[in-house]
Amino acid sequence: MSALRRLGPFLREGGRRFLEGPSERTADCGIGAVRYAGSGVHIQPRYRQYPQLTKSQVFQAELLSATMWFWILWRFWHDSDAVLGHFPYPDPSQWTDEELGIPPDDED
Amino acid sequence: MAASMAVSRGIRWLGTAAWRVTPVGARAASGLSKDMLPGPYPRTPEERAAAAKKYNMRVEDYEPYPDDGFGYGDYPKLPDHSQHERDPWYDWDHSELRLNWGEPMHFDFDMYTRNRVDTSPTPVSWNTMCKHFFGFFGFMMFMFWLGEVFPSYRPVAPKQYPYNNLYLERGGDPNVEPEPVIHYEI
Amino acid sequence: MNFMLNSMILLSIVILTLPLMINLAFPHKTNHFPAYCKNAVKLAFLTSLPPLILFVYADTSHHTTWSHHTSINTLNLSMSFKLDHFSIIFIPIAFYVTWSILEFSLWYMHTDPKIHQFFKYLITFLLTMIILVSANNLFQLFIGWEGVGIMSFMLIGWWYGRSDANTAALQAVLYNRIGDIGFMLTMAWLMINNNSWDLQHIFMTNMNTLALLGLIIAATGKSAQFGLHPWLPSAMEGPTPVSALLHSSTMVVAGIFLLIRFHPMMENNNTALTTALCLGATTTLFTAMCAITQNDIKKIVAFSTSSQLGLMMVTIGLNQPHLAFLHICTHAFFKAMLFLCSGSIIHSLNNEQDIRKMGGLLHILPITSSALMTGSLALMGTPFLAGFYSKDSIIEAMNTSYINSWAMVMTLIATSLTAIYSLRIIYFALLNQPRFPPMSPINENNPNLTNPITRLALGSIFAAFILTMNIPPTSMVPMTMPPALKLTALIVTIIGLIIPMELNLLINKLPTTPMIHTDNFSNMLGYFTHLFHRMYPLANLQMGQHIATMLIDLNWYEKTGPKGQANLHNTTSSYITSTQKGLIKTYFLSFIITIPAIFAMIT
Repeated sequence: MSALRRLGPFLREGGRRFLEGPSERTADCGIGAVRYAGSGVHIQPRYRQYPQLTKSQVFQAELLSATMWFWILWRFWHDSDAVLGHFPYPDPSQWTDEELGIPPDDED
Repeated sequence: MAASMAVSRGIRWLGTAAWRVTPVGARAASGLSKDMLPGPYPRTPEERAAAAKKYNMRVEDYEPYPDDGFGYGDYPKLPDHSQHERDPWYDWDHSELRLNWGEPMHFDFDMYTRNRVDTSPTPVSWNTMCKHFFGFFGFMMFMFWLGEVFPSYRPVAPKQYPYNNLYLERGGDPNVEPEPVIHYEI
Repeated sequence: MNFMLNSMILLSIVILTLPLMINLAFPHKTNHFPAYCKNAVKLAFLTSLPPLILFVYADTSHHTTWSHHTSINTLNLSMSFKLDHFSIIFIPIAFYVTWSILEFSLWYMHTDPKIHQFFKYLITFLLTMIILVSANNLFQLFIGWEGVGIMSFMLIGWWYGRSDANTAALQAVLYNRIGDIGFMLTMAWLMINNNSWDLQHIFMTNMNTLALLGLIIAATGKSAQFGLHPWLPSAMEGPTPVSALLHSSTMVVAGIFLLIRFHPMMENNNTALTTALCLGATTTLFTAMCAITQNDIKKIVAFSTSSQLGLMMVTIGLNQPHLAFLHICTHAFFKAMLFLCSGSIIHSLNNEQDIRKMGGLLHILPITSSALMTGSLALMGTPFLAGFYSKDSIIEAMNTSYINSWAMVMTLIATSLTAIYSLRIIYFALLNQPRFPPMSPINENNPNLTNPITRLALGSIFAAFILTMNIPPTSMVPMTMPPALKLTALIVTIIGLIIPMELNLLINKLPTTPMIHTDNFSNMLGYFTHLFHRMYPLANLQMGQHIATMLIDLNWYEKTGPKGQANLHNTTSSYITSTQKGLIKTYFLSFIITIPAIFAMIT
């Protein structure tokens, strides 16, 4: 029991950390006492030029697009049936007389 | 004892609260006082001028409703334009209502506020709008009826099973030879 | 096993109420409240995952009654949850999407002074939606239904200082009331004929066409089908996270969800199915037509939502409720993400919503652009992204069913229009040269912005695959069809991509034509709002005003009241006086008249 009781502060602190999320550390969400324009690198605004991008930003964007295209192509390679049709559709004009059970013309 | 005290205090509080929300001289909004109601219909030019002055209008602009027994009295007949039609960039005294202080209000002002009836001009005339919309709607309805008459479908045959379409399994007589199925016509 | 499934999913619902309780208990501790809300939803999502996995592997479906609520004569009302295929799959998805949206609104609503209230509203909104989805009787469903309506009113009118926002909120709530009449009709019908609102009892009876049409009206109001659709684009007046939540996983899919819930009733009634089919086809075409000429980025996305809702309605009309449900699920991911992307763009450009004043954002907002592309491609139904698994199946099912051919053609045209307006957003917002003021505080490196967008992007790439692979189809979908039909969805979409690109190249060489009727028709939302929002309020208010303030006075005071009496008496007395000539003979004659009159009365 005492061991459990010793766990109390951990649980309390852990629960608080979990519920508050990363806000404690980065102080960027919610309305904290300190406000920043955003977390991470500060980007200087520039006049008549595209704003600077951080490398990780570009990398994330590329990764996202790459994931998408990889997924599309990968699935297409392995699962092209889903797009092109699972089973061949029967073509009635190709059915032979034999398959249909039609007796040959010279039977009678 | 304490409970009864609390109850009596509560009742007294309720009584004073009721007094506070309805002051002695207050009356319901439906009962307008004499000077809030429009006056009698102006018949002489002098009366017209007095009425126009009362409503902060010029005599030339002042035009009362016709005296047909609906009780408009001398209330000015303003053009049927909604508040939404007015200039959004002008510095109105009441920017929400787009109204200046002391400005004559339309008789149906509460109907023409910004989130009710809108009469602002449209790029397309009312008739054209009606024609196009109901034309579109009617055309769709007609085509749906036509589509119902000529539906779209893939031809399918009932599902077939082996063993003469499960002849025995479906309780056919084993002694009688089942009818051979013919898939063609000559 | 079942116990665990039940208790965990109920636990996840209870977790959702925690932030609300915390706020009730400590109303002034609001510093970290938004983050609390976000993490509560995240926790709820994680809690609702094990039941989903259990469901996938054990395939159980049941309902659990929690507490007996009230009994009126023979009617029992109890709080009970139906945890079946639909609710168990939908709840984690709704949590996932809402988690991302809440995280996004930490960034988007950062400067709002009432941010904690905003989060409370969002949580309540989600909670009512979950009540709606998991309800096992119509009364509980109705609570969720109305709760969603009220919360949408509060959230759309969030910036209540603006008249437009008020109008939009009023529109939403009024159009929903029209739909509610249908729902009430069905509830009343069931009460009269069935004396029970429990779904099990309802499914054992046969609902007639009237009751089913009531349901369709309800769905029309809630899911913004043609006729009651204008509130949905107007709802764009609310903050972007609200639009995202409203249009992806809550509110607008509630109507479709209701019809999905009642699919055992619908499937045998051809009138109801045909109505749903035609209604859906009209909606999907009409709203797609409106979408192609809008300039407001949020309006375009809103109309595309409406168009997709029409497609879901078509699917209901095809009698494929499971496909419609799948489309709800996949649609939630990419539509929420499209809204978050447009929110990111709008915020970065200082509240600029006009796509004509964007451009070149590909170089400035790389993550948003990537996600916007992914979302648009998923919306168009690019193979193996989220939209494909549901949309392609819907169009295949449509091609192989026995249905109204015009409805099919209209739906296919609307599908190609999807590609047109998606391409339009990408072309105007992301490509070309920038057309916005040179000094814009663009800043896309906030994790509260990029994380939810990335998460939803991953969801719209993989989620549909995971869903379709693990959850076996419960209804028969035809698999064999000619390649032309199999490829219809793709071909139609590609046509929709090629035509506007060609037109775009061509349009620079053509002389401009200022007034074209088709352009006006599309740009002014098919004249629907202009016609009906002017005609009905004018007629109703004018009539009401005049009856209330004038005709009643005129009638009672003038015509029948004192003046009427005076008139009557005047005229009658003037008639009567003319007979008084002082002749005694006349008076005696009048006595004679009274005697037969008395006899007549006695006998």
